[in-house]
Amino acid sequence: MLAIQPVPVLEAVEGPALHIPDGFMSGPVAAVGWVITVAVLAVAVRMADRTLSDRAVPLMGVMAAFIFAAQMMNFPVAGGTSGHMLGGALAAILLGPWAAIIVMTAVVGLQAVLFQDGGIAVMGLNILNMGILTALVGWGVYRAVLTFEGMGSAVRLVGAFAAAWISVEVAALATTFQLALSDTSPLDVALPAMVGVHALIGVGEGLITAAALAFVVATRPDLVNQPVVAEG
Amino acid sequence: MSAIAFITERYEARSSPVHVADARAKLLGAFGFIIAVTFTAEGAWLALALSAVPLVIVTFAAHLTPMFVVRRSFLALPFVAVALPLIFTRPGETLFTVPLTGWTGSREGIEAVATIMARSWIAVLAAVLLTATTPIVELLRGLRSLGVPRLLVATVSFTYRYFYVIGDEATRMMRARDSRSAALPGYRSGGSIRWRASVLGHMVGSLFVRSLERSERVYAAMQSRGFAGEPRFLDQPSLRPPEAVAAALLVGYAFAVQALAHGWLT
Repeated sequence: MLAIQPVPVLEAVEGPALHIPDGFMSGPVAAVGWVITVAVLAVAVRMADRTLSDRAVPLMGVMAAFIFAAQMMNFPVAGGTSGHMLGGALAAILLGPWAAIIVMTAVVGLQAVLFQDGGIAVMGLNILNMGILTALVGWGVYRAVLTFEGMGSAVRLVGAFAAAWISVEVAALATTFQLALSDTSPLDVALPAMVGVHALIGVGEGLITAAALAFVVATRPDLVNQPVVAEG
Repeated sequence: MSAIAFITERYEARSSPVHVADARAKLLGAFGFIIAVTFTAEGAWLALALSAVPLVIVTFAAHLTPMFVVRRSFLALPFVAVALPLIFTRPGETLFTVPLTGWTGSREGIEAVATIMARSWIAVLAAVLLTATTPIVELLRGLRSLGVPRLLVATVSFTYRYFYVIGDEATRMMRARDSRSAALPGYRSGGSIRWRASVLGHMVGSLFVRSLERSERVYAAMQSRGFAGEPRFLDQPSLRPPEAVAAALLVGYAFAVQALAHGWLT
């Protein structure tokens, strides 16, 4: 009764519904997104340049390819749906916030160009939501939880789970408010729906992130105890 | 050819004036065009139709078929769901009522959703045309000479290059997982969702370690070839006037359509 399965090939899977296409955001909201993103990116580029020196490009480029591929690896959830990760929090935990922002920017930018997954004029907002917010929030939550590290080694994994879960929720909240400001999606309907759906998606993100960190702690503890990229 | 390459290679080689045009002109033209379309007011059907005209012209000038461009543009559609509640929440003339729930759909709501979808579709078509006629390497070189930071452009070009390597690595890991997860027809395989998520997490962790170690080898290889920390880009010749004019005309046309539709001029 063995059936020959088609060879699994990574494909552009539908993930958290956060890649905003063009046309959904008003001009002013998209413009504000660009202003914030360009300002934060300028800081991130300077920080990465300083702390990484000439290692920066190969390290961050390959790491962005890793996040890109990790987003396409999925696991079956139920009823034909599948879960996968966004990766912003994981990138921040493993690489530090500034390198993570650049890595996520490369991922979001290429997705818009290669797959039309996310728009061009709204790319500033997409980078802000999925790259900057997830990295900064994920990093902040993870560091905050790590202050309780004395309580045991599981704290690190709890921190990773919380960082990933909250980062997805914050990204979803930001997207919802931007859509409401653009008069594209009514807040009273969209807010509970987006927060609810992403609370579940965030659990998947948290589980994957914590398990990924557990694997890295077990195989290359040196990478976790001393972040690959020093803090600013 | 890598399996990944089949889904990520967006460039469609043709010999056409659009393909050989300077990437900067195409980038600025597409970007300006998409921004202009973003301003389309709800229910401005004529403006939307007029905005689509340049896309038809570019499609034929690039020797692409409309079928090809349209087929590629459907990737962005699932996001439409977030706008659908507008049908029921936008106040206006009631067109229909959903039985049982008592929700009323308004004409204004339907117009709003249709406009958002059309705006989005036109923007996606423009992006499809840009990527189908310009190799990624040219786009990145164009971005660099338009002033995007060196570090950022170099990182993105490495991402594009190594995505094939890391993506194939990920595909092999997925294939290995599928091989381990045999199931009889009609029976579910594998454990709880939590267990499945942690299996994937371990795969992601493993992929991270392999990628990081690869980046160290890549860096060592670059150093041994004399990389001194400065990613270099070829100089771009200056923008050819006819191409700059064509890009300016495209953006100017798109904004003129908006100006007329909004009555900005009167």
